[in-house]
Amino acid sequence: MGAVGSEAQKLVWEGTIPLEIRLHESEITTHPPPPPALILGPRLGYLPLLAQQVKPYFSDTLPPGADTVWFEYKGLPLKWHIPIGVLFDLLCGEPERPWNLTVHFRGYPTDLLSPCEDEDSVKWSFINSLKEAAYIINGNCKNIMNMSQSDQLDLWQSLVNGKIESFLRISSKLKLGIVGEEGYSTMTSCSIVSRQTRQTTGDVDTPGPNRTGRIPVRLYVRSVGDDVDDFGDITPVDNWDEISYVNRPLEFHDEDGKLLTLYDALKILLPELFEVEPSIAQESSRMDIEELRTTETTSNPQDLENAINSRCKETKETPDECQSQCFPYRKTEIKLVRIQGIEPKLVIPFAWVVKNLTNPDHFLHISVFVNASLDQPT
Amino acid sequence: MAAAEPSTPSRKVVVHLRATGDAPILKQAKFKISGTDKFAKVIEFLRRQLHRDTLFVYINSAFSPNPDELITDLYKNFGFDGKLVVNYACSMAWG
Repeated sequence: MGAVGSEAQKLVWEGTIPLEIRLHESEITTHPPPPPALILGPRLGYLPLLAQQVKPYFSDTLPPGADTVWFEYKGLPLKWHIPIGVLFDLLCGEPERPWNLTVHFRGYPTDLLSPCEDEDSVKWSFINSLKEAAYIINGNCKNIMNMSQSDQLDLWQSLVNGKIESFLRISSKLKLGIVGEEGYSTMTSCSIVSRQTRQTTGDVDTPGPNRTGRIPVRLYVRSVGDDVDDFGDITPVDNWDEISYVNRPLEFHDEDGKLLTLYDALKILLPELFEVEPSIAQESSRMDIEELRTTETTSNPQDLENAINSRCKETKETPDECQSQCFPYRKTEIKLVRIQGIEPKLVIPFAWVVKNLTNPDHFLHISVFVNASLDQPT
Repeated sequence: MAAAEPSTPSRKVVVHLRATGDAPILKQAKFKISGTDKFAKVIEFLRRQLHRDTLFVYINSAFSPNPDELITDLYKNFGFDGKLVVNYACSMAWG
């Protein structure tokens, strides 16, 4: 009935990562130190959800204070809104089993991580992600907004407990199918299931355009330097700025893509990696800005940058600096692509990838390792 | 088949800031912001303007993207009529 997962989907849902979690030494008050916690982290789950399991291992040794759990890998505080499996694929060049993580219950790095108070924060983040996906697919997120409280809770609980059947039963009501049972044929035309009427919730600006055939994708692009043969040897990520976080939908305009491969999809999603002549793109972007300036007659939006500068003088960042930092991967090539722990051949049909490897938030999360020469924009 | 627009992440995006509920209205509600900035920058700007630590910031009266998301991506995913509509509220407006 459409709510039955494919074999591959079931495998993805069952996927776990063995974790060896140690308490950070600054929070150990007993001697000898407590042994590590050995638990399985569901690929589709989120780190804060492990707190309940992890806490009993360390509760006797913690210093006094209130708990706010966070995790770290090789000194990098882990962003909790990224699914565990994606963090593992992205940060462990050579998959490490068990994955050695450090847990903290004190000293939450509020400057580096967004606040996470409890499971509700994670649920809220997940539902938001789902709404984003719905908007990308349908042009609105009415179906998610109108979900009953009990359905929303059941959907969340089925994710927390890894119950694919009940998850699919509820999520099928949301009409977010992109690739139907017929698979490829849906992908090749620009028709899409369940185009919804526009949202009318009072706010005149609310409805988005009725776009179709868009697939929500989150890309995590990590530069691993040149001449890397052994992914076990690459320098660990010690700052999230080293990862380019890109959210671009894959869009279908016509029927060119009889059998769009993963390679084709990446080429569309990350044109930077395939571009030969970057100077042209930069030139045209400058023209666009000029154009924008001259066409604005009724209103004249102030530059947010200037507004911030005039208000707080400590801002030092210049736009040029930022530009080269955020999109440094010119003339680079893809070394490795990981989705749900799989390193797929780039010739596989993208429809298969979407149908089977998409996360419960309806985003396809792709980790891409590139051999960027970071500081040499040509 | 191609991406919607050529890759011009540095292009500035027009952001409309709209008060929701009892949030104060800003004197200037339209801003241009670099596409390579993160959504966090908009949140931070609103916090400073409104002198509030807790603020709920939404796109299209619907959802709160992660602060890490790039403005250019948000614009391409959720913008229309040449702008990105950002709603802000002092209490939770849309669950």
